[in-house]
Amino acid sequence: MGSPKAPVSQATQHPHNVQPWGNYLFAQGKDTRNAGLGRLRALDDEFLMQVLALLPAETLGRLACVNRAFYCFSNHEDLWRALTLEAPELEGKWRFKNTWQQTYLKASLPIHNFHRKHPLRVQGFYSDLLYQPWHCTTVPLHSSWLKRDTIDRRTGLSVEDFKQQYELPNKPVILQNTIDDWPALLNWNSKYLKKVFKGNTILAGDYPMGFDNFLAYSQRSRDEMPLYLFDKHFASKAPQLAADYKVPKYFDEDLFSVLGEAGRPDFRWLIMGPPRSGSTFHKDPNATSAWNAVVTGSKKWIMYPPSALPPGVHASDDGADVACPVSLIEWFLNFYKESQKGPVQPLEGICRAGEVLFVPRGWWHMALNLEESIAVTQNYVSSANLQHVVDFLKGGRAELVSGCPFEQRGRLHDAFLSALQQQRPQVLKELKRQQQRKQAAKAPSQLSALFSETKSVEQPQEFSFRFS
Amino acid sequence: MADKVKLRSSDQQMFEVEEEVAFQSLTVKNMSEDTGLDAPIPLPNVSSKILAKVIEYCKYHVDAEKKADDKPSKTEEEIKTWDTDFVKVDQSTLFELILAANYLNIKSLLDLTCLTVANMIKGKTPEEIRKTFNIVNDFTPEEEEEVRKENQWAFE
Repeated sequence: MGSPKAPVSQATQHPHNVQPWGNYLFAQGKDTRNAGLGRLRALDDEFLMQVLALLPAETLGRLACVNRAFYCFSNHEDLWRALTLEAPELEGKWRFKNTWQQTYLKASLPIHNFHRKHPLRVQGFYSDLLYQPWHCTTVPLHSSWLKRDTIDRRTGLSVEDFKQQYELPNKPVILQNTIDDWPALLNWNSKYLKKVFKGNTILAGDYPMGFDNFLAYSQRSRDEMPLYLFDKHFASKAPQLAADYKVPKYFDEDLFSVLGEAGRPDFRWLIMGPPRSGSTFHKDPNATSAWNAVVTGSKKWIMYPPSALPPGVHASDDGADVACPVSLIEWFLNFYKESQKGPVQPLEGICRAGEVLFVPRGWWHMALNLEESIAVTQNYVSSANLQHVVDFLKGGRAELVSGCPFEQRGRLHDAFLSALQQQRPQVLKELKRQQQRKQAAKAPSQLSALFSETKSVEQPQEFSFRFS
Repeated sequence: MADKVKLRSSDQQMFEVEEEVAFQSLTVKNMSEDTGLDAPIPLPNVSSKILAKVIEYCKYHVDAEKKADDKPSKTEEEIKTWDTDFVKVDQSTLFELILAANYLNIKSLLDLTCLTVANMIKGKTPEEIRKTFNIVNDFTPEEEEEVRKENQWAFE
């Protein structure tokens, strides 16, 4: 993490000296792109990149020899990353070298005398598409992005107080000193993880790879959005890891457990990533709530309440499709200032090693790893959000339910309720009581009819008006 | 009776097209949701020559998906062949089609034209690529040698 005042040095210039498009306006004369693309100048960078994404490696290599502009385009790391990760014949074989291009070539070419590459520095090539990712990788994090600390922090909270003050009102909180006894805090580091994952692959960015290969990538990559380890099978691959932590007392109701490990949707993940990795704005699936414990490192969180849409995020009318088209750093560069001025202020904070964030149902959240971080997270259903989860599952839109095989999704609602009836009948009784109270309170007055027109972004068909 | 949509090209030519065909373009679909179907939809970025081709594409694909006796009217093979012929046009027409497909937001046409350009590049030497697209080699002799060495593997 560089200091905010670091001058733009040689080290932060794009390896091929690609400049942002804005600089073209101040440049004198030379425009390598348009002059260099011939008839292809009619196509914009995005489209060109789509074309190049369809090309095999040899063609990209030849394209690089065409001229300066194509040299810059063909060397774009995104292309080589995709080639490496999508090639079925390379799965398990590639080892990360210093760039994705080197990684791909080393893995796919026979024993070969590599010409050691000194990147060619081009003059007069302007492209935001190629420049921005590099810029996002190297721009120092502004201190203003990290300063605000508005998520409540509590120590020694009782379970009852947690439920009353945070879970029921659906409000985030950082819980301190609640996982102090976890062996994970002593054990978890790269060396330990390497040992427990020996002989197995882990999932990073949904791609399987060996842990030490992931580590090499983690330490050397200059990706704008680095891949990070996000593995729901960590406990079966490495049972020691499951033994190293236990669910904090606030969250142990865990109602989906009645479905058994085979029947329940995905619920727990090991997360590890280099600085600047993380996840862009999203809501957690199935109307569940979550907790996220940082074991090593630190994460910056930004959270928006369910009915507010964070700047830079687009959601379809039914909430099924969410697009956050920019990377994490790009979001900070382009939208953080705006987020400070909007009608709804986000809650923000940095979660450090030993702290646990409670992510309430339906809240938008984004997390940025400020340093290499290891965390564990679980999604859960408790009495507090049970009604919402049941309503969500009942909604019947199988494609919105996630974390279990497609065939099971339509039946999840019934399976869940019947398992609850068998194992936690009291919980179901209480749920029915709540529903009856709600029905009784629904007076057919003009006022409530007015408000029932309101649709929230949160979920399809969910009634969003709250009297509290 | 199918609803018709009126589209007006940049050179003021009017095209009347079935709604289903016109709505292959998400841009047209969204615009008509704002303005209704009575007024013609202006497409200042698309010439009549290109718009005619785009409509031809959309019409074919709408018809091809239609089912008779529970079978689509055209096989995937037939559609592919038709598509391949459809893009056998000169480069400037092809690029205008790309720009139109982008502006009109017709994903399948964009994908098709993208693939077409990719196929024009695949398997060619650098000199052949330059000739195909009228590209000037602006490397200095030293740069060219360096780049060639770097990418020698692509020629073996």
